[in-house]
Amino acid sequence: MISRRALEIATAALTGIFGVVVVVSSIDNGIGWSSAGVDAGTFPFLTGVIIVLGSLYNMGQGAMGRGTLAIVRIAVTPSELRRLAGLFVPAAIFVAVIPLVGMYLASAGYVFAVLALPRRQSVLRALVIAAATPLALYVVFERMFQVSLPHGALAAAFGF
Amino acid sequence: MENLQSLLHGFTIAVTVPHLTLMVIGVLLGILVGVLPGLGAPNGVSLLLPLTFGMQPVSAIILLSSMYWGALFGGSVTSILFNIPGEPSSVATTFDGYPMARDGRPTTALATAFGSAAFGALVGVILITFLASWVAQVALAFGPPEYFAVYFLAFASFVGMGGAAPIKTVVALAIGFAIAAIGIDTVSGSVRLTMGIDELVKGVSFVVAVMGLFGIGELLIAVEEEFQARAVSSKVDWKEVFRALGRLPRYGIALLRSAAIGCWMGITPGGPTAASFMSYGIAKRFSHNGARFGSGEAEGIIAPETADHAAGTSALLPMLSLGIPGSATAAVMMGGLMIWGLNPGPMLFVDQKDFVWGLIASMYVGNIVAVALVLLTVPVFAALMRIPFAVIAPLIVIICVVGAYSVSNSYLDVVLMLGFGVVGYLFKKLHYPLAPLVLAIVIGDKAEDAFRQAMLMSKGSLGIFFANRLVTTLVLAGMALLLLPLALQIVRLLRKPDEAAHEKVRII
Repeated sequence: MISRRALEIATAALTGIFGVVVVVSSIDNGIGWSSAGVDAGTFPFLTGVIIVLGSLYNMGQGAMGRGTLAIVRIAVTPSELRRLAGLFVPAAIFVAVIPLVGMYLASAGYVFAVLALPRRQSVLRALVIAAATPLALYVVFERMFQVSLPHGALAAAFGF
Repeated sequence: MENLQSLLHGFTIAVTVPHLTLMVIGVLLGILVGVLPGLGAPNGVSLLLPLTFGMQPVSAIILLSSMYWGALFGGSVTSILFNIPGEPSSVATTFDGYPMARDGRPTTALATAFGSAAFGALVGVILITFLASWVAQVALAFGPPEYFAVYFLAFASFVGMGGAAPIKTVVALAIGFAIAAIGIDTVSGSVRLTMGIDELVKGVSFVVAVMGLFGIGELLIAVEEEFQARAVSSKVDWKEVFRALGRLPRYGIALLRSAAIGCWMGITPGGPTAASFMSYGIAKRFSHNGARFGSGEAEGIIAPETADHAAGTSALLPMLSLGIPGSATAAVMMGGLMIWGLNPGPMLFVDQKDFVWGLIASMYVGNIVAVALVLLTVPVFAALMRIPFAVIAPLIVIICVVGAYSVSNSYLDVVLMLGFGVVGYLFKKLHYPLAPLVLAIVIGDKAEDAFRQAMLMSKGSLGIFFANRLVTTLVLAGMALLLLPLALQIVRLLRKPDEAAHEKVRII
């Protein structure tokens, strides 16, 4: 279970860290006024400062349990979290294996795994959808619009 | 009159067989993304974007804008028949649309929604027809300081009127600006914010951000809510369609008021979602049937639908004439314009007459095509909703992955897209607004350039933003909008002790 307070603080921390990175990185680019006009880092530096300050405020509001969502105590229940993971984890694995096996194999495997393993669909139906997906991708992208999708290291090893 | 002449010329461009075909394709694809939860107008349009690179700009924009109309209509179909808003902007339509459909009047609900939506869109297009070229003419005299002031005003109106927590809006905007700054700086040529990753030199495309924020993010929200389609009958009774449309003029005042709210929220970038909620709220307060709202009242469908479409349409006005998109989808389309080599803003009306008027004419035709197609295809798309979500979800993930990859054939974009998906989920969950984030990614560079050019003109003095009446007014209006939430808060704090005293009196 994740409380709304924890989620609020974590998100504000995330945006805050991004802000700090922006600030530090734009100081390297130079901030302020030089003979060539406003230095390259100035604008990002300002946005970075705004992000950091805003994140601190949001974090404070979240920690004190104030703001528009104050009545909502629990942000994500355990069963919701399980469903979220059920969608996101396979998707992340799918993205991770694309460089290795290529878009076509990865998408077919992903669809098959998501449909067949939780036994929501019959294996036969899952197989059909899993086979149709890369075929549709191939026809639409590689043929109709001439966009080459990644074939992966595996295909390269076999000489495609 | 010159406008009407240009419009007629526009019709000769829009009403040709290839363009009508594109409209039909665009509207159908639009309804599809509008109906599917997890796919919406912004990422539908960005998915299609890489496929338009070989087209004429005018054909490309007709395809994309038709998709936008289709998505706006498609979102309402699922709101009414399934109580599931296919688009954030059609959430308010569920309040009265679904109860009416559940009570055995689905056709009435659909026809009322589409009729008022078409009216809202029509008002928006008429506004564009007569106002856009005038605004563009005024804007031709703008220099960098004026431009920066207009951008500032647009961003400030998000903070002041967007409806989300003001500081969350500010953070979302600033993050968008920072993302826009990633890559090579166009003025000095130095590389910014790449954090040591060489591939980031090319910058982060807004398409990648939209795919993640709206696609994956929305999908995560949808799967979390464990949505189930409980459909009411989706048969369309054609006689009832015309009867429902015939009843619409009775709600003339509600229609006009909602259209006005929609146009206002579309031009000042409040967006269709805020417009539909605002219009519903106002209609509830002012209608004599206000108490019956929420139980299937026709006015409760008319108000959000009219405002939604009026806002969606008029969001293209500032995009065309100033180069400032009024909604997330308009922002994506404007990104497209820049990719096709056009320069959104007043010069379009001088250099690209065919493009501008072809688009405006196509908006009239496209909305008619959309109403007809959406009514004809309701049963088909309603059947689509019966496909289990478990099957649709992975397919949408694959579409987003391929879409992000095809922007510039880069694997890094796919990883970034997934990251944006997590951010989109968190932001949606905690009510950080996404539209300003996308808007800032698209026009962040231009706003920064305007600022730096203004600073070059004034040799580093901020005084240039108060140099003449126009720019001073714009900057002051922007500041007023920025401070509006703060002022409201103070008023509330001052009133509170008062109200507490009242309470006490009543208790005694």
